[in-house]
Amino acid sequence: MKEGVRYTGIASEEELKNSFGIPSAARMKQGPVAVIECVQEIPCNPCEGTCPFGAITIGDPITNLPHLNETLCTGCGTCVAMCPGQAIFLVNDLSEQEAEVTFPFEYWPLPQVGDEVDAVNRAGEVVCKGRVTKVRNPVAYKNTCVVTISIPNAFKDDVRSMKRVIKQTPMELAEQKERASQLVCRCEELTRGDIEKAIDEGATTIDGIKRRTRAGMGLCQGKSCERLVARILSEKLGRPLAEFLPATYRAPVRPISMGVIADNCEKE
Amino acid sequence: MKRLSTEIAIIGAGPAGLCAAIEASKLGAKVTLIDENALPGGQLFKQIHKFFGSKEHLAGVRGYEIGTRLLEELEKSDAEVMLSGTAYGLFRDMTIGVVQKTNHYAIQAKKIILAAGGKENYMDFPGSTLPGVMGAGAAQTMINVNRVLPGRHVVMLGSGNVGLIVSYQLMQAGACVEALVEAAPAIGGYGVHAGKIRRAGVPILTSHTIKEVYGDGKVEGVIIAEVDEKFRVIEGTERAIAADTVCLAVGLNPMTELAHMAGCGFTFLPALGGHVPLHDDNMETTVPGIYVAGDITGVEEASSAMEEGKLAGIAAAASLGYLDQEKAKELKDEVQVRLSALRTGAFGEKRQTAKTEQMARMAAFLQEKGGRRP
Repeated sequence: MKEGVRYTGIASEEELKNSFGIPSAARMKQGPVAVIECVQEIPCNPCEGTCPFGAITIGDPITNLPHLNETLCTGCGTCVAMCPGQAIFLVNDLSEQEAEVTFPFEYWPLPQVGDEVDAVNRAGEVVCKGRVTKVRNPVAYKNTCVVTISIPNAFKDDVRSMKRVIKQTPMELAEQKERASQLVCRCEELTRGDIEKAIDEGATTIDGIKRRTRAGMGLCQGKSCERLVARILSEKLGRPLAEFLPATYRAPVRPISMGVIADNCEKE
Repeated sequence: MKRLSTEIAIIGAGPAGLCAAIEASKLGAKVTLIDENALPGGQLFKQIHKFFGSKEHLAGVRGYEIGTRLLEELEKSDAEVMLSGTAYGLFRDMTIGVVQKTNHYAIQAKKIILAAGGKENYMDFPGSTLPGVMGAGAAQTMINVNRVLPGRHVVMLGSGNVGLIVSYQLMQAGACVEALVEAAPAIGGYGVHAGKIRRAGVPILTSHTIKEVYGDGKVEGVIIAEVDEKFRVIEGTERAIAADTVCLAVGLNPMTELAHMAGCGFTFLPALGGHVPLHDDNMETTVPGIYVAGDITGVEEASSAMEEGKLAGIAAAASLGYLDQEKAKELKDEVQVRLSALRTGAFGEKRQTAKTEQMARMAAFLQEKGGRRP
């Protein structure tokens, strides 16, 4: 079996060594740093422009391989999200026992901080367990979530992703089913499952949920459900609560008798 | 039948046609953009991945977002858009036959830009007509546009960028890709796309092919086998993979019927997908006033189709006198710089070589005709 990215889809040790994006072992000990595993000359340079610290250089032509300046790199992770090829990772050599690896992740469901996950190598094989320490998915990352997991130090050069969650155990399913039947919006009798379904169908805002389900359009006008809906959105989309603005309010914001308004109008 | 007339008629509202329409309209030409689909955008709206290239090529922006931006620009322009309009013929007096629902039009244009795109190649093997065997592009439309998962267990044939990207997106949509099979000894597409699906555990089996797909009324499994250097199946290496879906990502070819009808000269360049219409650096074919842009000129990707569309739009508007030759040259040179940036490196080189060869053959054609189009 021939080695190398052309034959296996995985960059060989040789290819990585001859590229210009791999930081030194000493730099990894000083905190998170980008590891750019880009070994083929393809026309692509967003990493260069996206680094806020000018730590990545490609130049002209844009097929040049990226060069990492490990001193300038702060390990912020912006390039991890912005590389269209998803070829950039962060490694943080924390101690003799522990290391952190950060990678792009574009599969639902997103992991949550604290989850124990299967850490996989470049071939998708599970090599160890990992604990999720950070899940970043701000709007600026354009839906490429950046996940950090803590793993045993020995695997820091191997682990480059985590196994996506596909199948749930019967117990998890039962639990989820029960949670799904929990009432969230009492006025319109909507369950958590209804809200989650709306998110699966593409809703990303409280207004989006409202238009699809009527959550917040009942008697209480969202007083009980709005915050719950925001929390479900935040959990499911992996985004901070701060991003979920309240729904659009229109008069009447309190239940009133329409007859009263109508009568008064007539008199005028 | 209703007779209509316009200055520039553009057939196909994908990335090339949209960019041609926006550019030509911006320069002042009266543009009619025709597409057989109910919505413009071509295949852009099913491209949910971040594009490559540089900032000028909108790198890092997802395909459907590029589509949205182009539609906004189109909306702002004066271009007329004719949707659900099937251009069924192109006749020698620069007239396009279009059927739109129950209406029939003959559209006469001073200039015509053909941006019809490409179509997927098919394969025949036992079981290739079973429901569940489909083009990778069709599967991509199902998951990303119609939000329907064609199946849970997929075998992908072909390791070009389409096969790699659609495998990844099928997993994002919730399917398992059981294997990606490639007859060549090496992966065809970008290593980074291959790396993504490898990390998700998809085996990439090079020097392998699909021998047979079996099932009772629908796909139930795939027999794959190793092939030798001449792509012949090596007996005894067969094995079965349980699957309910087989996707074929074995290349595309240019959709050139209208260019043929119009009498455009053609040349055969396998690196570009087969027979392609000859054209000059204005994207003008051997028939005066007929231009081509995008996959019809040779299969590449959306980024280069957009640049070619701009080129054709600028050239067609310039030939109508909407800008002087000097200004036109300046604009076209800018596009050419971006276009050649996309055709550099190990992957682009093959296409660049084929494009250069195409230009040489066009020049030879013109020389034979005494330097002028017939």
